[in-house]
Amino acid sequence: MDYDTYAPLASWFEATWVGDQMRNIFWLFPLMETIHFCGLTVMFGSLLVIDVRVVGFGRFINMDAALKFIPIAIGAFLVNLITGIAFLCADPFRYFPNIAFQWKLGLIVIAGLNALWFWFGEHDVLKQLADGEDAEFRAKVIAGLSIAIWVGVIIFGRMIPYVEY
Amino acid sequence: MGFLIWLEESSLGIFIRESLWGYPIVLSSHAVGMATVMGVVVALNFRALGYAKGISMLAFDKLFIIGWVGFIMNLISGLILFCNTPTTYFFQGSFQLKIAFIVAGGILMKVVMNSVRGETSENLIKVFSTACIAFWFGGVITGRLMAYL
Repeated sequence: MDYDTYAPLASWFEATWVGDQMRNIFWLFPLMETIHFCGLTVMFGSLLVIDVRVVGFGRFINMDAALKFIPIAIGAFLVNLITGIAFLCADPFRYFPNIAFQWKLGLIVIAGLNALWFWFGEHDVLKQLADGEDAEFRAKVIAGLSIAIWVGVIIFGRMIPYVEY
Repeated sequence: MGFLIWLEESSLGIFIRESLWGYPIVLSSHAVGMATVMGVVVALNFRALGYAKGISMLAFDKLFIIGWVGFIMNLISGLILFCNTPTTYFFQGSFQLKIAFIVAGGILMKVVMNSVRGETSENLIKVFSTACIAFWFGGVITGRLMAYL
């Protein structure tokens, strides 16, 4: 990304109160990182329950009950969004031009659209699914994509420190 | 100590230290494996704690298999990462604590699964389950802090 494109936005993030705290309190960044990692596992686990059921591998997981993991996934996502923004404020000029960070954000947007497709296109039908019954093909594709995209998000996130500029 | 030095000087140790992409790729798979094991641990324990009761604990068996896949993935990637600087990691408090947490968490996961299938009272299951999830999160936290402590 071109420096002039992200510089104004990056400067804004850098000047925030959160950015100041993240840079000045030495234990805050590691603390946020541990929270980000714990959030990641809770979110991935919740999605795993739903996606494994829909894909069919976990066909005997009760679908209606599996869908109860949606609010947990959203909650964990919010935790990671907040801690993620805190990292961004700490050092925006490092993150914005970082190719792994850009891919990570792009994949999160795609995962979000995929989730909306799931919610508006499949959720109500799936709710009625009996134990052991196969979901329709389209739902399986969405669930498979969900796992693949989030694995990608984890990989690109972990790559951020290694692809500096 | 001799073994640790041997490990550090092994071709695997040299590879993980010196190859440009070796370390980040193995580290990324360690993160994916972590999400998989932990994801399953979290889901099973949420259920054991009484959330999403509509799911039969037995139906979760398939998820348990996935958990093992993640665990083995991390055992392998973890051993490779360990070869990076075994003489440091072995004596590092956060690493020792991490391994202890994982062992305790693993044992408790087994205890939780057994007690769910058996006649254990619901309250006792919840105690086991809370401890189990705490140990596993302890493993994640101390693992992440290895970069700092």
